[in-house]
Amino acid sequence: MNDIGEFTLLLALATAVYGCVAYIMSARGNRIDLYLSADKTPFIVWACVMTSSICLWRAFLTDDFSLQYVWAYSNIELDTFYKVSSFWGGQKGSLLFWTLLLSTYMLVVYFQNRKKNLRVVPYAMAIMLVIVVFFLVLINFSTNPFERIPLPPEDGRGLNPLLQNYWMVIHPPTLYLGYVGFTVPFAFAVAALISKDLDDGWIRMTRKWTLISWFFLCMGNLFGASWAYVELGWGGYWAWDPVENAAFMPLLIATAYLHSVMIQEKKDMMKVWNMSLILLTFSMTIFGTFITRSGLIQSVHTFDEATLGYFFLGFLFVIITSCAALIISRLPLLKSANELDSFLSRESSFLFNNLLLLGIAFATFWGTIFPIISEAVRGVKITVGPPFYNQVNVPIGLALLALVGIGPVIAWRRATLSNLKKNFLKPLLAAMVGAMAMFPVIPLGSRAEIYTYATFVISIFVLSCILAEFYKGTVARMGLHEESVAGALSTMAWRNKRRYGGYIVHIGVVMIFAGIAGSQAYGTHTEKHLKLGESFEIRGYTIRYEKLVAIEATNIKTRIIAQLAVERDGKRYWTGHPEKEFYKGQNQPVSEVDVLSTWKEDLYMILADFREDESATIKVYVNPMVSWMWTGGWIIAFGAMVSMWPDRLEQRRRLDRIRKQEQLFLSPAQE
Amino acid sequence: MKQKNIKFMVGSLLIVGAIGYLITMSISNTSQYFFTVDELMSQNVSYTGAGLKIKGNVVNGSIERDPNDYLDVKFLIEEKDASLKVTYQGVTPDMFADGREVVVEGTLGKDGVFKANTLLTSCPSKYEAEKEAGKMHPGKFPDADKYGEPGLNKAEALPKTTI
Repeated sequence: MNDIGEFTLLLALATAVYGCVAYIMSARGNRIDLYLSADKTPFIVWACVMTSSICLWRAFLTDDFSLQYVWAYSNIELDTFYKVSSFWGGQKGSLLFWTLLLSTYMLVVYFQNRKKNLRVVPYAMAIMLVIVVFFLVLINFSTNPFERIPLPPEDGRGLNPLLQNYWMVIHPPTLYLGYVGFTVPFAFAVAALISKDLDDGWIRMTRKWTLISWFFLCMGNLFGASWAYVELGWGGYWAWDPVENAAFMPLLIATAYLHSVMIQEKKDMMKVWNMSLILLTFSMTIFGTFITRSGLIQSVHTFDEATLGYFFLGFLFVIITSCAALIISRLPLLKSANELDSFLSRESSFLFNNLLLLGIAFATFWGTIFPIISEAVRGVKITVGPPFYNQVNVPIGLALLALVGIGPVIAWRRATLSNLKKNFLKPLLAAMVGAMAMFPVIPLGSRAEIYTYATFVISIFVLSCILAEFYKGTVARMGLHEESVAGALSTMAWRNKRRYGGYIVHIGVVMIFAGIAGSQAYGTHTEKHLKLGESFEIRGYTIRYEKLVAIEATNIKTRIIAQLAVERDGKRYWTGHPEKEFYKGQNQPVSEVDVLSTWKEDLYMILADFREDESATIKVYVNPMVSWMWTGGWIIAFGAMVSMWPDRLEQRRRLDRIRKQEQLFLSPAQE
Repeated sequence: MKQKNIKFMVGSLLIVGAIGYLITMSISNTSQYFFTVDELMSQNVSYTGAGLKIKGNVVNGSIERDPNDYLDVKFLIEEKDASLKVTYQGVTPDMFADGREVVVEGTLGKDGVFKANTLLTSCPSKYEAEKEAGKMHPGKFPDADKYGEPGLNKAEALPKTTI
């Protein structure tokens, strides 16, 4: 089986190389015979990669430790669930997994667009195949997951216990689905440039892909934050570590792209900008992979093989230079049909939104690579930490938050005074009332607290803007049809899925902003070394250390659990059980935190240490409003689903378009 | 038409400029010098009082904890024959032990003792473990006792019970 896996990988590489050459030659020379032959390659490549992946999965599930990779990331006693996820637990498997997702996406694109646009699609397939080839070369010649151990050991080394967590099972695939997904719009953009077919066809063709990839990227970031929060036990969810930044930057640029393509669709503007953004998004996904695989930047989690990073750097260089050259050569064809008219217009609010998102992305990028730059320029490595990112990104983020309220509501082209009054007077009043109501209750001692206060006030403004939109739409519909409030609201949203789905996503975004602001400014923590029966106080909670027990959970896992009584106003309120787990074969214990989560705040407990006399060090965090973030995440997921849901009206329009194109291109080709 | 374009150029440049200003300001406010222990020792300029981030390995047997206050830790870190005395107040990470590679952030006092306010251990991980494991015969577990602190942080330290 392992030989099959290895062989199919080689076969996939050969087919992909052939496919990409054949696609390009068929498109350039108008050769239908070559095209028909090339058109079989996406399926063959996918089938080969899939077979190879099944072989690797089989090796994991049957404990085949003759494979070095299986030995390194699994052992006999590992849960079947985690055996499946060990597939992407390390470098080699994660690259194969990446390739599997990419070839699957490619197959879907192939089925979706077969015979649809014979000028753009062959090039798009060729571009995707080039990227597949890059990954297959790495897998075949640099990090082969089917590397053998000559004398197979009896048991594997086991998966790192930190990764044995359900978030860690879904976080990497989700993030990869997002990362890999942007290959599709990127490939279509480049294909449009090559074929000079530069209307908004490529944007329409890949709109769903952009949305889906954005959705997965967003969820992947949130899942990662959740994992860090519940598993790593340091009381936070985001540390501005280079690896986190690597996942965050593509999300920011993709968000900018997602918004600015709307302007191109509606107004036929910002063409060069959109091309550059999608190129940048894709480059960022490769750059992110480079960061995590190179070890060049000091991070708490890096893969060990330093050489691999340079492949990615080289690939990145080739992509950026060739695409930039391509965009420049097509500049005359990328003229906008319209121009910006006024600062107070939807177009310019989208432009500013783009600038701010790129600003955050750039600041994050700069902070991430600053150690390298400073070493090259000044000879001293200078690093920046969370304070830098917070100082820069918080003010920009606040401006962005305000635009979340303004952008979707403000008039197109040029907003007049009466326009502005109609749209924004009430939300502004609501924000002012909110500001005054919060003023006496909210502490305003430090800069962080002032920022948080500002965040809350702006959040109220944005929420009122969005709710007003829902209200206006519902009232208008109720005036026209005999419907109940709920009926009118849901039909209206369902008829305009993209628009209202977007609004729902914005509500989620506001909640995440509020959650971050609240937890950053008002959190507190204490750590105490306690003997049995001792207690301490934090934010009105009394924490009493009651007992410590050791349990042998399985043959490989021993759990040490502390029992902590939480009292409030003299009454027992909750019992927390933070613990430390010891795994056979792993050098370090794993802390399992216990969290009492409410709307107001999280009580977050860590068993930091214990001694033979059963005294223990307990660390307790009070993190306000963290659950707002997770709720906001689910709202975003819901809103994104709504806007992604297939729309019959849109499908009809699309069919019309395709029919027209077929008349234009297909019929002459067949003659 | 031309004028309009200029207007938007200026507007965009203002935003870009503001962001650029924020970035440069914040870099100079919050940056820390990053050295390994030997690099720090060989610097001609004194970095006393400046924000520093130092990487080194914990010297075997150098970890001292105050018997009255468990959260008060003193230890030595070394790199290529240079060593540095570090004090730290707080819970140490799970992987903090003799021989581990750590990164400390804080300031260097006039007495040459480094006062750390954060203590990070490098990656937990499988990735690093792989390097270690590469040196030995496959199938052998890395020697757990070599890294674990005697008596402390060990599951066997407590009588086993079941619930």
